[in-house]
Amino acid sequence: MELLLTVNGSLYEVNVHPTARLLDVLREDLGFTGTKEGCAEGECGACTVLVDGKAVASCVMLAVQARGKEIVTVEGLARDGELDLLQQKFVEYGAVQCGFCTPGMLMSAKALLLANPVPSDQDIRVALAGNLCRCTGYSAIIAAVKAASGQEATPLMELPGAAEELAAEVQTDPDTLAAAREAAEKIAGLGPAPHGEA
Amino acid sequence: MTDDLRFVGGSYPVHDVAQKVTGELVYGSDFSLPGMLHAKLVLSAVPHGIVKRIDVSRAEALPGVVKVFTCFNSPMDRFCRARIHPGQDLATHDETLFSEHVRFVGDRVAAVVASSRAVAEAGAALVEVEYEELPPLLTVEVALAREDVPIHPAGNVAYEFEVEKGARPDLDGAVVVSSSTTTPRTHHGALEPHVCIAQGFTSGGMTVWTISQGAYAARTVIAELLHLEYHRVRVVKVPMGGSFGGKTEYIVEPVVAFLAHALRRPVKLLLDREECIAATMVRPATATTIRTACSASGELLDFEAASTLDSGAYASSTPDYSIHMCKKVTKLYRLPHYHHRSRAVLTTTPVGGAARGWGAPEIAAATEIHMDRVAAALRMDPVEFRLKNLVLPHDTDLVTGLPLGDARVRECLERGAVAFDWAARRARPAGRGRYRRGVGVACGAHKNGMFGAFPEASNMALKMNEDGTFELSASLHDPGCGVVTTMKVIVAEVLGIHPDLIAAGEADTSTTPFDYGTYGSRMTYVVGACARATAEKVKTRLLAAAADLLEEPVERLHVVDGTVRVREDDERAIAYRDIALLSGMRHLPEISASLTYYAVSNPASYSVQFAEVEVDCATGLTAVTDFLAVGDVGRAINRGMCEAQFQGAVQMGIGYALYEHVDIDAAGRSGVDGFKNYHMVNAPDMPDVQVLLVEHDGDDGPFGAKSVGEIATVPTAPAVVNAVNNALDTQLSDLPLTPERVVAALAAKSGEA
Repeated sequence: MELLLTVNGSLYEVNVHPTARLLDVLREDLGFTGTKEGCAEGECGACTVLVDGKAVASCVMLAVQARGKEIVTVEGLARDGELDLLQQKFVEYGAVQCGFCTPGMLMSAKALLLANPVPSDQDIRVALAGNLCRCTGYSAIIAAVKAASGQEATPLMELPGAAEELAAEVQTDPDTLAAAREAAEKIAGLGPAPHGEA
Repeated sequence: MTDDLRFVGGSYPVHDVAQKVTGELVYGSDFSLPGMLHAKLVLSAVPHGIVKRIDVSRAEALPGVVKVFTCFNSPMDRFCRARIHPGQDLATHDETLFSEHVRFVGDRVAAVVASSRAVAEAGAALVEVEYEELPPLLTVEVALAREDVPIHPAGNVAYEFEVEKGARPDLDGAVVVSSSTTTPRTHHGALEPHVCIAQGFTSGGMTVWTISQGAYAARTVIAELLHLEYHRVRVVKVPMGGSFGGKTEYIVEPVVAFLAHALRRPVKLLLDREECIAATMVRPATATTIRTACSASGELLDFEAASTLDSGAYASSTPDYSIHMCKKVTKLYRLPHYHHRSRAVLTTTPVGGAARGWGAPEIAAATEIHMDRVAAALRMDPVEFRLKNLVLPHDTDLVTGLPLGDARVRECLERGAVAFDWAARRARPAGRGRYRRGVGVACGAHKNGMFGAFPEASNMALKMNEDGTFELSASLHDPGCGVVTTMKVIVAEVLGIHPDLIAAGEADTSTTPFDYGTYGSRMTYVVGACARATAEKVKTRLLAAAADLLEEPVERLHVVDGTVRVREDDERAIAYRDIALLSGMRHLPEISASLTYYAVSNPASYSVQFAEVEVDCATGLTAVTDFLAVGDVGRAINRGMCEAQFQGAVQMGIGYALYEHVDIDAAGRSGVDGFKNYHMVNAPDMPDVQVLLVEHDGDDGPFGAKSVGEIATVPTAPAVVNAVNNALDTQLSDLPLTPERVVAALAAKSGEA
């Protein structure tokens, strides 16, 4: 059957079997493989997406049930190359290890923050109760969600980007560079280097 | 030394975190190729039998089905799923692609290959299999009693091992304590199911994309099974969603490689959760009896143990597992005499094999539950009793004869007891009402690689790019815990540049140097030491090049923040980028090196863990209310991830203690077919886990680092069990402590009273 689906703000026309799961249509027909499958019975939460702002396990929802609704997958969180605040905090707080639960965790957390912008620790734990993680023990994930809600939490990870700053700092001073260039030319003319590794 | 470290000890996300939070990372289960076919396995419906007939006609008539492979039209060469090197002695070749003699519910009988996953599944449902049933041997006891029903031609005992060291002491007047502990068969619970993709080429060569923990190890199994020379089989590691040992061995890889080779097509096999639980591999169930003797003042005099391990239907790695159950206690306790027999017994149940800790969590559960009983018999505090008997730094392991290195288990226990406020909490009454509180402690030991038992080495190559950044070529397999990042941080420390300026990939047998893979707690200690040694060699070449350019003796140079500087003349420094550019003018080899690193030691890693529980006596439900994990990790290379390893390991260990078990019913079927009836601890049930790392120099790992991923989960379960026994004044020792077992123990106790 023909079906119109709105995913991450774009409208798609798909031809699906009436019993097709939303998860399969997202992954296989539309290529949104960020949404993962871990159990096929709505227990692990890896396939969680937003449907009209609510967290839904897409492995137990038929694609046709999503007709006319706004679906957001993990691919729809970042905007114009900028990570969503939740994604940034997941990076900063070390909330990601193998990462297979991460898309589902992010979407459940997103649904929580849409409904409850300043959740308590317990609110976060309950909101993530349907998302299993075997790597982290959940602490870092809970801290990341808390931080994304603007509440105080201690950052754990050194942020990516430090490298660019570090690289920019590194400049050979012009006099040293000129001397080194001369030395290099001299060595080049002499054949094998004195420290000849060859 | 710590003060000098620029990058080691910082906290860094996993290397591919940016692609993981956006959903861009292509995991094995996301992977596809043009023209790719899909396979679905047909699994044995009976626990033990002979396949008499397979009717594939209805399946092959289904549009889209390409071919059905069975034990009657496929090679029957036997292979060992756990073999990592063709020269390996201990490898049981007892498995075939498809079984005619089926040995458990879940044994592979056939595979349907079709144009789509849906068609393959529909086809598999149409395959008709007729069995002649044999007596099922569902427990170790039954398998041992029924020698007349051999599961494999050599009989039902897969392996026997015995070690006795030290002299049997005089036990006159000693306090003798006996115990018996069982640990369950469990599912690893990695969130990504098992998957493999292979492409067979018309020429006969092939490429295999694996989410396993050893690409070279997978190749040794695949190539020999298919009678291909190794160089014609390329195995590439792709991103995986967790393993915990469940993907260590080669379960789906040989099958998918065969299908792709036979059809000369790309084929993908993605298992579902039920197949992962019942038909891949489980943590083996174990039973251990221990009898110790102690002096009245609490010194251990003797330790006698016997362990039995349920191998399931194929030996897999359980022979080695049973050996390792005998190699942990003497890393932990000073013992004048130690005697341990173990055996791995085949049954017609799911295959047992590698699981995080490789025998250590199993024997730690038995040992540490036992030690609490000894302490009780002596009327001593469990911490005080352990402090009388734990090993000291630089003791020798009585069993292996290897030095334990700078073993800081006592420090872990002493510092942990203070941090947890052990004495005060232990003194607090458990309460007499419905909810009772208790605290427990347990210690654990694990290894650092395979030195002493197997040739232990790794190989790497590292080169400087034209812009002064670096590329590390190594056969890494990151299960998701930050293996790649660890290597980058180590190289960064040596070369004095930020880890983000170093690229490191994962294993590809056609391009990256040989390494066994991610197991044996060898990554940081051995492979990390290889990374350090390789980086040191590159640094030597870098300094030599800089010496030429700066016209200074090498001895005066050092590396700082991406530059080579002249000591005591900070103005004179040359950036790596300029060294790369200018040294190119010398027509000399690039600044690069490759290296083989041979391990020189195998010290112990330690963890001591403290649990506080609250038990509901009415329902038998246990809540873990507080937890402290202390680890002697030598040095944290990546502090945040090191702590995170403990937090995740505690989640797994609490499950092992309280919830997780894959039981087999009387018909030989798994009582578990998904997460709906396999309970892994979720966010609301997890306590806040505090982590305390004990760091020091003194061992041969990079910057003093030792293993962390496996040791982190070793003592968790017994700490929880000991806390429950403390709360209830019980002697529970059959894991997991399900509500039924807790209620039964309380009922038995009130019956006694």
